[in-house]
Amino acid sequence: MSRANSATSMRDALYEAPGPRTRRKIVVGTVISLALVALGVAAVIRQFYVTGQLAPRYWSFLLEWTTWRFLLQGLMGTVQVALTAGVIALVLGLLLMLGRTSGVRPLSALCRVVTDFFRGVPSLLLIYFFFFVPAQLGLKMPSFWMLTLPVALAASGVLAEVFRAGVNAVPRGQVEAAMSIGLSSAKTMFKIVLPQAVRYVIPSLIAQLVVVVKDTTVAYVVSYPDLMQNARVLITSYDALVSMYLVVAVIYILINYLINRASVYIANKTGVKIIR
Amino acid sequence: MKEQSAAEKSVPVIELRHVDKHFGDLHVLRDINLTVEKGEVLVVIGPSGSGKSTMCRTINRLETIDSGEILIEGEPLPQEGAELTRMRAELGMVFQQFNLFAHMTILDNVTLGPREVLGVPRDEAERRAMELLERVGVAEQAQKVPAQLSGGQQQRAAIARSLAMRPKAMMFDEPTSALDPEMINEVLDVMVELAREGMTMVVVTHEMNFARRVADRVVFMADGQIVEEGAPDEFFDHPRTQRARDFLDSIKGH
Repeated sequence: MSRANSATSMRDALYEAPGPRTRRKIVVGTVISLALVALGVAAVIRQFYVTGQLAPRYWSFLLEWTTWRFLLQGLMGTVQVALTAGVIALVLGLLLMLGRTSGVRPLSALCRVVTDFFRGVPSLLLIYFFFFVPAQLGLKMPSFWMLTLPVALAASGVLAEVFRAGVNAVPRGQVEAAMSIGLSSAKTMFKIVLPQAVRYVIPSLIAQLVVVVKDTTVAYVVSYPDLMQNARVLITSYDALVSMYLVVAVIYILINYLINRASVYIANKTGVKIIR
Repeated sequence: MKEQSAAEKSVPVIELRHVDKHFGDLHVLRDINLTVEKGEVLVVIGPSGSGKSTMCRTINRLETIDSGEILIEGEPLPQEGAELTRMRAELGMVFQQFNLFAHMTILDNVTLGPREVLGVPRDEAERRAMELLERVGVAEQAQKVPAQLSGGQQQRAAIARSLAMRPKAMMFDEPTSALDPEMINEVLDVMVELAREGMTMVVVTHEMNFARRVADRVVFMADGQIVEEGAPDEFFDHPRTQRARDFLDSIKGH
């Protein structure tokens, strides 16, 4: 099924088909909003011009290969941290959810506390923790892990809840059918419930990966050379704050756009129609 | 059939003794006593909310009971763990909503139990699954996922899934209630066939013609109690209680 199709059906599901008067209103609304957007963009460019931000000295360094090589190195750092943190968070989130739904009371309570803790504490605070505490205890931790671990832990709390929502969304009848043919509760979970739960929550999982990518931008706290940190270095050396931040913003948007496209692709690919 | 098994003094396949259950304040099962002999087809009827589905589901402990006893071939129904799992594997269950595993093909639905629970090798499990799917008439749909099948086809596949475990008895919890009218008979036909082959069956249903034709014994439940039981002709033609007469009148009529 194409994306256009699913978008149409979503609109159809929420609103009735527009009549002639509504269609006219939609056209008027579209024209007005496009005009407003154009005005806004023009105002920004004008302001840039007035304040001298369009001067070549703020942009010329972007024509040099060394600039891009440095940014690409930062991008690689971001990708490494995001992927590692994402994988750790997925595994940990799954374990936390399994523990919480296990029915073993102490384990369940523990997993619940851990989940709520990581979900509730800002990731920046966790990063400070990993920055200061191991050092105080005399442990030397590479900056990669000082960034990756807290980002992963923060995401794992959310992912545990995402997985749990998915598990809860699997109809009770699926579990009953599995039990009635004599599957153990572990097999019921891994063969019947989880495969369906994961399909339900793929969009939320991917959305959380976007959050992970954005969380890595506080790498400067631990001086890890990610995209943001390298951009800050470039800003200082070329004194080009606005232009650099604009470029970096576009790169982040592109990364997250790609992740979102991937999520749509995966969701369509694995989409299973569920009987209701 | 009843006299015959009584003469043999065989152990009933399913026996409920003084079973009671509450849902909060609601007393859903009141002192239920019931036996199902080997090869017997027991049809349970009654108005909605009478506890007939709940009773059916207690037999493989999809519902727990507050007091009383449930015996399977003379053995108490285990409360938990591997013993309960093993017992469930020996009792087939067919649900109103089919409950085929939505993420698997029909073939995988039928082979899952034998492979995971009974340890049957894949090719053997698949061979037997295809025989069963053939028998219930959905062999052509083996590679599809449940959502691609009609309700009647799904329910027949679900029956095949239960049969693949070679159960001692089969429970049917309103197997045709979620079906479009034109699909009811294709499912009932499979059940009639099963009954003819001597399967021990507990069937909760609103299909009175099926009850009359296939049941060895009819149990009428109302308000959590077994109000009346007897041979189908006797029950349908000469109900003894007013409650049963009212129920039969209410579903006749048109």
